[in-house]
Amino acid sequence: MDISVGLNCPTCGGAISLPEGETTISCQYCGSALFVEGDQGVTTIAFKNKALKDAAVASTQHWWTHGLKARDLKKVGKINEAYPIYLPFWKTTTRVAGWICGYEERRHTDQKGNVRVEKIPKEVMVLQDYVFSEIACDPGDLGIRTLKNMVGETSFADFDMIPTFEATTSKDAAVTKAKGDALAKARASAHVPHVTFEKLHVFAKALTMIYYPIWVVRYSYRDRMYMDTVDGVTGQVMSGRAPGDPLFQALAVTFGAAGGGLVAAGSIIYAGASYANDVRIAGVGLVVGAVILFLAYRFFRHGSERVQGEFKEKHAGVGDLLKQAQQVSKTLEGLR
Amino acid sequence: MASTKCPKCAAPVPFDTGVKFVKCPYCSSQIYIDRTGAGFYYALPFMVTESDSVGMFKRWAAGSTKAKDLDKLAQLAGVKRQYFPVYMFKRDVNGVEQVLIETAGSTTLPGLHNLKVPAGDLKVFDAAFDTQGAELVKPDIEMTSYLSTLPGKPKEQALVYFPIWKIDYVFNQKKYGVVIDASSGEVFSAEFPTRSSMAYMAVAFIGFLAFIGEGLLATSSLVAGAGLMVVTVIGVFAAALYVSRRM
Repeated sequence: MDISVGLNCPTCGGAISLPEGETTISCQYCGSALFVEGDQGVTTIAFKNKALKDAAVASTQHWWTHGLKARDLKKVGKINEAYPIYLPFWKTTTRVAGWICGYEERRHTDQKGNVRVEKIPKEVMVLQDYVFSEIACDPGDLGIRTLKNMVGETSFADFDMIPTFEATTSKDAAVTKAKGDALAKARASAHVPHVTFEKLHVFAKALTMIYYPIWVVRYSYRDRMYMDTVDGVTGQVMSGRAPGDPLFQALAVTFGAAGGGLVAAGSIIYAGASYANDVRIAGVGLVVGAVILFLAYRFFRHGSERVQGEFKEKHAGVGDLLKQAQQVSKTLEGLR
Repeated sequence: MASTKCPKCAAPVPFDTGVKFVKCPYCSSQIYIDRTGAGFYYALPFMVTESDSVGMFKRWAAGSTKAKDLDKLAQLAGVKRQYFPVYMFKRDVNGVEQVLIETAGSTTLPGLHNLKVPAGDLKVFDAAFDTQGAELVKPDIEMTSYLSTLPGKPKEQALVYFPIWKIDYVFNQKKYGVVIDASSGEVFSAEFPTRSSMAYMAVAFIGFLAFIGEGLLATSSLVAGAGLMVVTVIGVFAAALYVSRRM
């Protein structure tokens, strides 16, 4: 079996020039209108890599000095290498059209304290296009999952010289996810709290493969190898890892415990001093203080590495905290 | 670059991975690359050197969930360069394209819970491909054994070798392993020495309780409360700095 299939004009037998992703074409010799069926591929564009290596390195060094990273990172950090890659992204445009009907409730309280609930009917028309983008391969440790910038010069001039990562995910899965995303956004944009009727149509208008240039910058800090990525079009840092600083961790928990504790103490004092002697004020204050403490604790516990971007560890953070809570409860049970 | 024959003029036509339409450089014919009936061999090049992989291991070992100073105290027992095989199938299931990744060998990588093709620049794996001395893990499961059981109709099937650095290390007389994806730099591990959160929680919680007590005390005696707060700020900061540096 042959893996190459020649494409000829069925009318005159001439050669056909057909870009990937197109379905209709006109023969350049006899002018016949032709329709292509079968696996037509996906329209592909590539953005031009505008940032130079020096700009990517400068962007990284500028990024080092912001955001509670190690204070000596600028001095001790050493750029090992910087190279550009092309990352594949699925980009879809999805249209949602239809109606959402329902009502919202408004509460009216008169002077006697009686509460009357008024139902206000709502009927909203939805007609909106949504753009969805997703990386078309496994993101690995790059920390990039979606395309933020859709503006730039498109060119395939650099395509052969820059390593190009291949698409390894399904385009239909990307379209399905885009439709779900567009539907959820359309429902949210209608602002109907209680829905009684809904008729929405979702159309996948366009699917494009975008190859986006990204600089991968690897740098070392005290024998450890870190990495960040710089946008090849805008020149900004897209994602990266950097070492944290114990001083900032200690300051965070100190001021977090102080702030949270004082908020809790203040609410207890206020609850005791007020005429109504409302216990709920103390409860709310304790909760707010605990939340402040928790946020400070989280940075105190995990602030030794600063992460920017769409890494999967961020999503796993809540799971880790639940596991820690279970460990603490087991320890307490053991002590009992 | 793979090569195929032009059906019009029989000239060799090079085509890249992932390309579906290609133009013959001699007679300008358009050619469609039909991958439904052929099995392809791909490989991802190494983009991480050996010293960089050790540095990535040290960065991973310095993480907040690993044992303290694991990056300094772990003794490397071996750094191995390997190519690991997986099968990648693209199928047409009821008109919907599906990408399925299947295991190609009986050996598994530690920490790689879900099989996947890492991000990378796929190259055609042939005699000209430079493996840079990496050990090839041989696939011992035939591709044909999957073809009869997978759903739908075939669109493409490929054996993909992706590059890994296998690092073995010893910590507290126990041996551990870690795998680094040499294409995107991701680190996988099944088991590693962990760090307790008890000291961190103790500092935060005791500080919180101390400040609640001192806030209440300040209502009856402002000077005593404020003085104790200053002492507690210094104490909590010193304890927190010690814990974040040493524990």
